[in-house]
Amino acid sequence: MKALTANRLIDGEVVFWKAGAWIERFADAQFFADDDAAGAAAVETAKGQPTVIVDPYLIDVVESGGGWAPVSYRERLRALGPTNEPTHGKQAEGGASVEAIRAAAGAARSTGRVDLIRRK
Amino acid sequence: MYRYDAIDREFVADRAAEFRGQVARRLAGELTEDQFKPLRLMNGLYLQLHAYMLRVAIPYGSMDSRQLRRLAHIARTYDKGYGHFTTRQNLQLNWIKLGDTPDILDQLAEVDLHAIQTSGNCIRNVTADPYAGATAEEIDDPRVWSEVIRQWSTLHPEFSFLPRKFKFAVTASAKDRTAARVHDIGLVLRRSRDGALGFEVIVGGGQGRTPYVGPTIREHLPVGSLLSYLQAILRVYNRHGRRDNIYKARIKILVAALGKEEFARQVEEEWSKIDSAPADLPDTELARIRGAFTPLAFDSLPARSETFEAAKAASPALARFARNNVKPHKKPGYAIVEISLKAHHATPGDASAEQMETVADLAERYSLDDVRATHEQNLVLPHVKLDDLPAVHGALEAAGLATPNIGLISDIIACPGLDYCALANARAIPIAQAIAQRFEDADRAELIGELKIKISGCINACGHHHVGNIGILGVDKKGEEFYQLSLGGSGQEDASLAQILGPGMSADKVPDAIEALVDTYLSARTGQERFLDTVRRLGMAPFKEAVYADAH
Repeated sequence: MKALTANRLIDGEVVFWKAGAWIERFADAQFFADDDAAGAAAVETAKGQPTVIVDPYLIDVVESGGGWAPVSYRERLRALGPTNEPTHGKQAEGGASVEAIRAAAGAARSTGRVDLIRRK
Repeated sequence: MYRYDAIDREFVADRAAEFRGQVARRLAGELTEDQFKPLRLMNGLYLQLHAYMLRVAIPYGSMDSRQLRRLAHIARTYDKGYGHFTTRQNLQLNWIKLGDTPDILDQLAEVDLHAIQTSGNCIRNVTADPYAGATAEEIDDPRVWSEVIRQWSTLHPEFSFLPRKFKFAVTASAKDRTAARVHDIGLVLRRSRDGALGFEVIVGGGQGRTPYVGPTIREHLPVGSLLSYLQAILRVYNRHGRRDNIYKARIKILVAALGKEEFARQVEEEWSKIDSAPADLPDTELARIRGAFTPLAFDSLPARSETFEAAKAASPALARFARNNVKPHKKPGYAIVEISLKAHHATPGDASAEQMETVADLAERYSLDDVRATHEQNLVLPHVKLDDLPAVHGALEAAGLATPNIGLISDIIACPGLDYCALANARAIPIAQAIAQRFEDADRAELIGELKIKISGCINACGHHHVGNIGILGVDKKGEEFYQLSLGGSGQEDASLAQILGPGMSADKVPDAIEALVDTYLSARTGQERFLDTVRRLGMAPFKEAVYADAH
């Protein structure tokens, strides 16, 4: 599965795509099947919003501990916040969805991010 | 310290106003991100993992209490109440909003601070000896020359679009506290045999993907010729430096490609074409700048303070702090106090707004209103009376700032790493914390002695791992955080590059590996040998054996 992420222009906040809107919690993100053309279509829509967000890209997500988590540890850090300050960032709210991301093991490169760097 | 005049103030205020306009145009869609990015970078604003990051210049690492209080205020008002002191004596704020940045720049400008040229392909904030004006070792005040370079290089039209970023370090002491030999240009003030003041000019050092210890291209440049000579170096670089490959664009690549002699020859040839009169600083202007750093009004004091001696005898904690964090001052009865930002559970280089305010108060009351940031991510009160050391130590202790570990194994440099940085491949902060906690025993740390561990979360080497006695580089190995250890580096006057020890390891293996390295050193050292000396004497083999023995 995939999710669409970006950073919000005005404050840099990590945001995720949900049915045409940008939301802050990974747990609320819309997931696309890997072969779902809607994911690529959402990226194109996002690129048309340069005054709202910066650098939209798709990330891989997997089931983890009863919830969902980004596959790559880089994206898990984006979805949580810095590990040295556990009360800062999105992780501060705690709860099952945050724990699911924290529990995610195994890691892979952030493929969406690599593609983004390559495009540049 | 240097005080802005009306021209400086107007310039910085104008620049903040200009950025306010640029932000408004970006938000309105009149500038694309590609157009805006170089503009925000030239004002120190990066987009990191969780938010924007603002890198504030602390020119040559020197602040007064008013400026440090303002940084605390900004951290509290616009960030999450803390800031991160960097390996180039700057302060990074991790949770900045683009929309707030124009107001922050205005707030900085009010206290003669800015974020100009803390990023981008230009001449960056100059690093200088944090003990400037306080140490008896120096033969001149490096802040004078750092300020000269700051004024000369700020928005220099010819050098604002260099092939790549460009970093200076200036020191005037034999003991190098600036890592001058791993800067693009390192300037070491020296006196010639006839007493004339000049610079040893080191060019083409650097870390990152391709590390070099910079060669000296001129042993003694008369100080009056500094700016014309720098102009010649920058011109040769601007003309021949590579712009086709970001990884080969730094001046170190050019110097290495041409060779030290040929590079020096081209600089001398270029220099001979420059008319000194307009290029070099007039004596009157140098005198004006030097006047801003006139020796302070030190009291005449006895070299020994009975108050301090009695307090030390009564307090083992103060005695330990004095052994490790208090350094000799040029004036009798004074001391240089290093404030460690490396408490064992803390993030290296981080200070809370409250801690910044404590240090500002102490500076105002006890250190002639002067504070320094070091490239090793600590702070310095440069002019403290020995009589006042017990009070200063007590106040630091109450603020969690009295960790007595300067130069010891837990005084670790670490970049923000993947916890914050968009470029990082692995985290650096948790590795530093794990090592610091492993070596929390203060007696053992003193027994081990000087040992500099430096950790970077990617090959860009902001954490100076190439010049760590033990360097640790975080890498992404098939999607996992892995750490590559290296040994034998130094960023000081005896600069050398660390050599890779062996295969990388996972984070949980790193503290044991450090333990094995330390045990090997302790069992092999002779006399007063530092860890670095033992590594240089014995080579890598026994250390490699100790770390990887279990793997056989």
